[in-house]
Amino acid sequence: MFDRNQGGLAPSTRKTLGLVSVFGTALYLCLSILSWVFSGELALVPFTSSSLPPMADLGIDSVHHYDLADYTGSARGQDRNERVLFLVPLRDAAAHLPMLFAHMDKMTYPHVLIDLAFLVSDSKDDTMGVLLKELNTLQSNRDVSKRFGSIEIFEKDFGQAVGQGFSDRHGFEAQGPRRKLMARARNWLLSVALRPDHSWVYWRDADVEKVPTTIMEDLMSHDKDVIVPNVWRPLPDWLGNEQPYDLNSWKESDAGLRLADTLDEDAVIVEGYAEYATWRPHLAYLRDPFGDIHVEMELDGIGGVSILAKAAVFRHGAHFPAFSFQKHAETEGFGKMCKRMGMSVVGLPHYTIWHIYEPSDDDLRHMEWMAQQDELREKERVLKEAHDKVWQSGFDNVKQEWERERELILKNVELDFDVHQKVRAKKAEEQSKAEAKVHGPEEEKVVPGVGKAALQPDAVKKVVQG
Amino acid sequence: MRSARRYLLVLLPVVALLYVLSTYFRGTPVEKPVARNMAGNHIVKYNMNKLQASSQAASHSEKVLILTPLARFYDEYWENLVALSYPHDLIELGFIVPRSKEGQQALEKLDRAVAKTQKGKDKFSKVTILRQEAEDALASHSEKDRHAMSVQKARRSAMSLARNSLFLSTIGPDTAWILWLDSDVVETPHTLIQDMTKHDKDVLVANCYQRYTNDQGKPDVRPYDYNSWVESQQGIKMAESMSPDDIILEGYGEMATYRLLMAKIYNADGDIHEEIALDGVGGTALLVKSEVHRDGAMFPPFPFYNLIETEGFAKMAKRLGYKPYGLPNYLVYHYNE
Repeated sequence: MFDRNQGGLAPSTRKTLGLVSVFGTALYLCLSILSWVFSGELALVPFTSSSLPPMADLGIDSVHHYDLADYTGSARGQDRNERVLFLVPLRDAAAHLPMLFAHMDKMTYPHVLIDLAFLVSDSKDDTMGVLLKELNTLQSNRDVSKRFGSIEIFEKDFGQAVGQGFSDRHGFEAQGPRRKLMARARNWLLSVALRPDHSWVYWRDADVEKVPTTIMEDLMSHDKDVIVPNVWRPLPDWLGNEQPYDLNSWKESDAGLRLADTLDEDAVIVEGYAEYATWRPHLAYLRDPFGDIHVEMELDGIGGVSILAKAAVFRHGAHFPAFSFQKHAETEGFGKMCKRMGMSVVGLPHYTIWHIYEPSDDDLRHMEWMAQQDELREKERVLKEAHDKVWQSGFDNVKQEWERERELILKNVELDFDVHQKVRAKKAEEQSKAEAKVHGPEEEKVVPGVGKAALQPDAVKKVVQG
Repeated sequence: MRSARRYLLVLLPVVALLYVLSTYFRGTPVEKPVARNMAGNHIVKYNMNKLQASSQAASHSEKVLILTPLARFYDEYWENLVALSYPHDLIELGFIVPRSKEGQQALEKLDRAVAKTQKGKDKFSKVTILRQEAEDALASHSEKDRHAMSVQKARRSAMSLARNSLFLSTIGPDTAWILWLDSDVVETPHTLIQDMTKHDKDVLVANCYQRYTNDQGKPDVRPYDYNSWVESQQGIKMAESMSPDDIILEGYGEMATYRLLMAKIYNADGDIHEEIALDGVGGTALLVKSEVHRDGAMFPPFPFYNLIETEGFAKMAKRLGYKPYGLPNYLVYHYNE
């Protein structure tokens, strides 16, 4: 192409062209290497065992083959078509479902790669009805890409150790039995819904108010065995605006280990209660609202509001102990068990999702007190109004009367004054004629008043005597 | 003409560059995600409150999942499996093969056997075959090495991972029972499932023996699996003095636990339905109500109360409030190498 005879271009132009094509080729190579590296193809290499042939498909309906090495989970699951099992345990959660489904609808991870599984247990409200309604809406989205993979609902009642009210659930004594029951529910849901072709498992509570739409990709990008975000909750202004919610994500401390040693085999340590002072560093308290969202913190116990884990973690047997495992149960015991199995358990202190505000007992008492205060203030207001009215009505009349009287008196005085003037003028007139007649009327006016005042003491005396 | 060619030459690299940039920013093309092949809106509902595992398993049409970690494939194992008289349409099978050459050989033999059976009349309701994700580090060990005490912990830890992956991938909403049947169990009564479910126990293990030819040249039987036992004071003391990372193993002289071993109390003239409460169980022929696994009882791949794998499983089941039992006079037979 650059042949002198055929090209006929000026040497300088040819030089430029040569440079451009050299740079172009170099750039091409660089970019293709980059795209290869970042596509996650590189990460694939260690997982696939080249020495073994792929598993055969026998072409028989009742026979299924799965090479578990194909479902190990990577940092870029969305690029590698990795299936996520989205698990939600539900109990009396009808009120929270619309919020949950609004979040799910907005999730950016390819919906077709997400399989949903719900466990509905011991519900007295219409959790099942609302769930089915929401699911049907979700799956009849005109935008087919917004629909999810398979959806399974499992009904299983475990009987209730305690109620589901906030104070029932969060009281100290209730924690052990309650956590063990929750653990059973989670294990039932996990074991029945997990399939060999799931690469990831995501646990989510229904009562999350605010969550990034990219949560799946964000958590996945860390490529950890188990990872949790920070969980806070908004508070009403009178309680200080916001507060750490999930205290189950923590790093073990010496005090915690010592405490564990003193407890009996079936005891369950729970965080956030004065009864068990462990002095553990909590993920929740390490949050900096302006901190780097990618910062990781190693954890030993985790909370269950939002957990992303590689499916292999569960496949290998890690679960939510429904018994006291190293003095912990449920999600905290799960964290402990994962560590025991040599897995990475990580929390993100500055990446936050928001739980709904649920008033605590103290909050409720405070709210009751505030309501009483409001009521009192209202009562006071009404009373004051009435008082004022009565007072005013009693007082006004007198005042007006008095005012009128005063006016009259003044008027009289004025009148008198006028009269006086006239009289004086007359007097002066008359004085000039005859002087002695004038004083009479003035003396007469004063006499009745003096008379009234003089009467009162007599009246009192009469009453006393009577 | 000349200027046209010049433009062409300038344009060519530019176009190439644009093309490269566009492919880069579009990302590498990936396979389009495939939706699961499901009817309607993909929503399925299961009521698991109705699930039951009772002493009349067959008449209640209770589903049984037979699980086998398959390191080697024996024709006798398959023949015995196919001959089980529990209705095959109530039986699902699950296998996991190690990621190794041996595993590959076993897989190929298994595939052939499965294909033959599943194309036939009396097929099982479903067969799931898994391959472990991790390379089998212990693949090279011979049968003799396998029993060396030093490699036991690693071997049984790997076995735990295989067992856990298997049951957690295959247990379904209607699975009532899980029968763990080792790939080297080559002979059981055909009524194995009916016989064992009849006891209505949470966890129940048969006594695993081995046929051999004795010194007199006569066929005889001898105990094979020593993992089913009743805890002893000595065993408890031993565990107390151990580090939490150590494990107690049965059948090794250097570790005398004085536990009552089920393998040792077989009575040829005894009632085959005699039960004995156990603290440790073996996995050669182990029947488990599905709720035990669903509650979380798995095969610990780490020392759990100084126990691992099936023995650790029995301990975990007990921690969850379930009771393991054994049938000392009910024999199943292990392959003789």
